[in-house]
Amino acid sequence: MIHPFLNLLIKFREEKPNMKDASKTQAHIAISVICFILGMLLVAQFRSVQVSGAAISIQRAQELSTQLKTVTEERDMYKKELLELRARLAEYEDAASKTSSLTEAMKKELEKVRMLAGLTPGTGPGIVVTLDDSNLPRQPGEDANLFLIHDEDLLKVINELFAAGAEAISVNGQRIIANSEVRCVGPTIIINSVKLAPPFIIQAIGDPDTLESALKMRGGVIESLQVFGIQVNIKKQEKIDMPAYAGAIQFKYFKPAKAGEVQQ
Amino acid sequence: MIYPIAGLILGLVVGFYLPISVPVVYAPYVSISILAALDSVLGGIRAMEEGNFDTLIFVSGFFINTLMAGFLAYFGDRLGIQLYLAAIFAFGVRIFQNLAIIRRNMIQKLVSKRSEKEEENSAS
Repeated sequence: MIHPFLNLLIKFREEKPNMKDASKTQAHIAISVICFILGMLLVAQFRSVQVSGAAISIQRAQELSTQLKTVTEERDMYKKELLELRARLAEYEDAASKTSSLTEAMKKELEKVRMLAGLTPGTGPGIVVTLDDSNLPRQPGEDANLFLIHDEDLLKVINELFAAGAEAISVNGQRIIANSEVRCVGPTIIINSVKLAPPFIIQAIGDPDTLESALKMRGGVIESLQVFGIQVNIKKQEKIDMPAYAGAIQFKYFKPAKAGEVQQ
Repeated sequence: MIYPIAGLILGLVVGFYLPISVPVVYAPYVSISILAALDSVLGGIRAMEEGNFDTLIFVSGFFINTLMAGFLAYFGDRLGIQLYLAAIFAFGVRIFQNLAIIRRNMIQKLVSKRSEKEEENSAS
């Protein structure tokens, strides 16, 4: 494939001694063509360097960190406010329930619904499962990911506990409610928009024996985790303090159908 | 000297309009290649000015140096040797040497032209 090209070049070269001017224009052409290729190469490289992006400037990083700090402070303030408001709401409810039997019945109903939604703290018997990353010595070349706890592992344990009749579950103090997410975010796991790091302490209220045997089932969740040396510790407890869901609940898009006009 | 610059500008413009880009993974190797290419071009210009320019050597040198520089940088990465440092050093030194020689040659040409003119003027 290259031979014709080479032959051409060699021919040009042989003609060189006789024609000095011709060789000079030939040199100009060769250098121009090569410069043309170099220019295209340069543009291609500029583009890829731009894509990967130069390192973020220190100024920008500082700006972002101060922003993060103010936002975190704001969030903590709102959290406090939320707790105060909830306490005040409870007071109002108490006061209202004293006025008539109807309001009392309504309050009871409200409490039931709150319990279902995970908005009330409570206690009860159950188990505490502690999961921690593997401490097995890792062989060179083995995938480190296999020895860490992932969102999927936590989800499996939570799922198994719910299947075994757990009535309330929390992970590291985060109550699992209907729209709680369990998701990998870098080296941490995020639940209820809060980043959690191992060890993960899963509290579950329910029948302690049933819950324990559900996890320890042969070929079950715990066995598959222990293959990779993930440390699992299950403790039955007579009394577990279950925290309430601390975040805000907002419905921006969901609108309930009014009673009586439920579409079938 | 005008043709190479025109070629370079044309190449930049054409490259700007063509959707070519280097995959980010290969960008470090291509940067070494570009260094080699720059070295070849400067070497070619220098040879042209000194009158011993050889098209075959120049063109083959450009392509083979460019490809080999990129390949050696890649190979060094595979081996765990930072071969690209050697390439940067070797090509960097040569680029600056060639630049210095080209500059000197051009200044000499300019000076000799001017002195020729002065001689002509004084003669007439």
